[in-house]
Amino acid sequence: MQQKIVDFTNLLRKSGIRVSVAESIDAFTALDELSLADRGIFKDALRTTMVKRSEDIATFDQMFDLYWSAFYDGLRNSFDQAAGDMEGEFDLDQMMQALQEGMQNMGGDQELDLSELAKALLTQDLDKLEQLIRDAAENAGVERIENMLQLGFFTRRTMEQMDAEGAGDQLRSLAQQLREAGMGDAEADALLELIDKFLEALRKSVRNYTERQLQQQNFDYMEKFRRESLLEKSFYNLTEDEIKKMREVVVRLAQRIKNVLSIRKRRLKKGKLDLHTMLRRNMAHGGVPFDLIFKQRRKDRPKLVILCDVSSSVANVSRFMLQFVYSLQECFTKIRAFVFVSELGEVTPVFKDKDINDAIEKALDGGDVINVYTRSNFGFAFHHFWQNFLSSIDNKTTVLILGDARNNYNDPRAWCLREIQNKAKDVVWLNPESPSAWGFGDSVMDKYLPYTDVAEECRNLKQLSRVVDRLVL
Amino acid sequence: MFDSPDEVIDQLEAQGYICNKNIATVVFLAEKLEKPVLVEGPAGVGKTELAKVVSAATGRPMIRLQCYEGLDEAKALYEWEYSKQLLYTQILKEKFAETMAGATTVKDAADRVGQEDSVFFSERFIVPRPLLRAIRADEPTLLLIDEVDKSDPEFEAFLLEILSDFQVTVPEVGTLEAVHKPLVFLTSNDAREMSDALKRRCLHLYIDFPNEELELRILNKKVEGVEQRLAEELVGVMQRLRKLDLKKTPSISETLDWARALLALNASELDEDLVRDTLNVILKYEGDIKKTQAELGRLITRKVEEGEETQAGSDAKQPEKTKPAKKGVLH
Repeated sequence: MQQKIVDFTNLLRKSGIRVSVAESIDAFTALDELSLADRGIFKDALRTTMVKRSEDIATFDQMFDLYWSAFYDGLRNSFDQAAGDMEGEFDLDQMMQALQEGMQNMGGDQELDLSELAKALLTQDLDKLEQLIRDAAENAGVERIENMLQLGFFTRRTMEQMDAEGAGDQLRSLAQQLREAGMGDAEADALLELIDKFLEALRKSVRNYTERQLQQQNFDYMEKFRRESLLEKSFYNLTEDEIKKMREVVVRLAQRIKNVLSIRKRRLKKGKLDLHTMLRRNMAHGGVPFDLIFKQRRKDRPKLVILCDVSSSVANVSRFMLQFVYSLQECFTKIRAFVFVSELGEVTPVFKDKDINDAIEKALDGGDVINVYTRSNFGFAFHHFWQNFLSSIDNKTTVLILGDARNNYNDPRAWCLREIQNKAKDVVWLNPESPSAWGFGDSVMDKYLPYTDVAEECRNLKQLSRVVDRLVL
Repeated sequence: MFDSPDEVIDQLEAQGYICNKNIATVVFLAEKLEKPVLVEGPAGVGKTELAKVVSAATGRPMIRLQCYEGLDEAKALYEWEYSKQLLYTQILKEKFAETMAGATTVKDAADRVGQEDSVFFSERFIVPRPLLRAIRADEPTLLLIDEVDKSDPEFEAFLLEILSDFQVTVPEVGTLEAVHKPLVFLTSNDAREMSDALKRRCLHLYIDFPNEELELRILNKKVEGVEQRLAEELVGVMQRLRKLDLKKTPSISETLDWARALLALNASELDEDLVRDTLNVILKYEGDIKKTQAELGRLITRKVEEGEETQAGSDAKQPEKTKPAKKGVLH
């Protein structure tokens, strides 16, 4: 049992749930206090001690079923079936009794030499069998299984490892000996048949176990793949479902940045002594300064102006950037959001009272202010901004531009960006294309590049979160 | 002391709290293993209530620490009582004069004062705050650290020593150990993920919205005089309401409020107008109310043709899993 729990713990770790050593020890102590008869309680005990994040509960449930319930149930099923097949012809209990007596009779004149496996088979000791199968599978290296084609191979190797054939031979010769010792022919034949059935059931169970291992491997693999990929997956090809998951990831990342911010702000807090407040506060102590009060340093929160290209090629970057920024709203004094394809329009009001996800979808759809079904024209958009909104920029404002700078061979009007940069604190440009493609074809990124303070490739969440991190800290 | 999880269920029910086996097992283990429990889950599913009823069932008095941003050591753990120390110094002035009487050098005098240090930095001058109080209490207590996610990340660090060793270290005095180990409940709404260090020391309990059957039982237990048919309809609507994508999903406390409101209105069955009029009891955001009103017909009529029992069952399972995640998105 202990070994099984340790194995299970490892499985949890592999599937991405963090279980510390202390936690698995807790699990053991918890199980000591409980009766294990109730599977529900057993499961709850493991979960409460080892799984500490509500997001992981679903994974835990899946793993629990995969590991604990299914295999043992399968084992019992196949042996029940083997015994059940014989049911019509024989009374199993009676048979076992006859066997016992026969063995006792024989025990006198010669030592019974049965392997553990043979004994477990004969007595249908399922717990023992399960243990034997697990050990043998480990020796056979079943955990290295990678695809369906290896099923047969590993099943065979596991059988060899536990010497199933030897056990079979031993059992058969036992039946032979029993026959010689005076067991009825019919009974002996039935015994032989039963032995064959058991061996078959064993083989099935081993194969079952191997399949299960394959599943577990796949599960680990898929799970890991899913996690990594969400952070590193390119925004260009996301499915509807992935967009949903991605939103959750963004929320979590935003939360983390907020946490870090709170710590850093605290560290900043202690500045010079604040004499006024200190004197007043310490009146209670007769003017003796027991409590020292320091002036709080304030870090300027940036103002943010976002220009989002919402043409379909960059929509996803814009989507997550907007979500990111609005999740971190309190880190900025003011956010103004503009969307453009060729016309430019302000969508800040859309975010006022709406559910954030709805608002983003609305903004990406042009927010009723621009027509999104045109061809990108960065020059036109920047010019429009320069004409109408330049006053919204001051030296505390960071201008964040999201776009691929594919200008459809229109006039880039880079001077507009220069004017913007002159007034702003920073101009940050996030481009979903890799830097090697900048300036090629209809990309005018190279024209804009001199007038940006930071220009970065931003193709997946990892890069995005890095940029945001730099923006707020 | 509980003997088995089943007993926990019975005893909590006697206190008016209906719980499932999962909750019972965790409470049972918490007391057996003397480990704190971190209770997570959406708002209003009875996290704080759980601590209260366990306190009542075990007869441990409850000490509550409500967390908020900016909560610090001085308010949670202990504080030196400066004014009292000052007062004592004033009153004991003469006594000091005696002590100093024979001193010939400044060093000698300082040494003598130094010897009395421990008088001023002793437990006498410590104002115990909830955490220290729970530990030093003469009888076993139950410590509830409510909404621990609202506190600052640094605050968790103070908690660690208490949660794992049940002791508080006061630099001037030494380590104060627990007289009786308190039973600790921490509740969190998942506004912020707790650190691994904290989680490691706790048992974890996730309380989700109850299923239909459980919610019905809770309703019957908590609100008296609701007709069975009305109760069933009401719970049905609530269950379906939770599947909508709302900003604030209504929880059990809203169900109970609603039932009480309907009772006050002498309603015996739900119809569309009634629900529309009382919707603001269960939904707290204008946007949510609008969204729900659009779906109102579906929410109620589905009940009438409840031939598709099985489908409703399978529906119910899915959102349960996505719920916590969804909540995260909305924050």
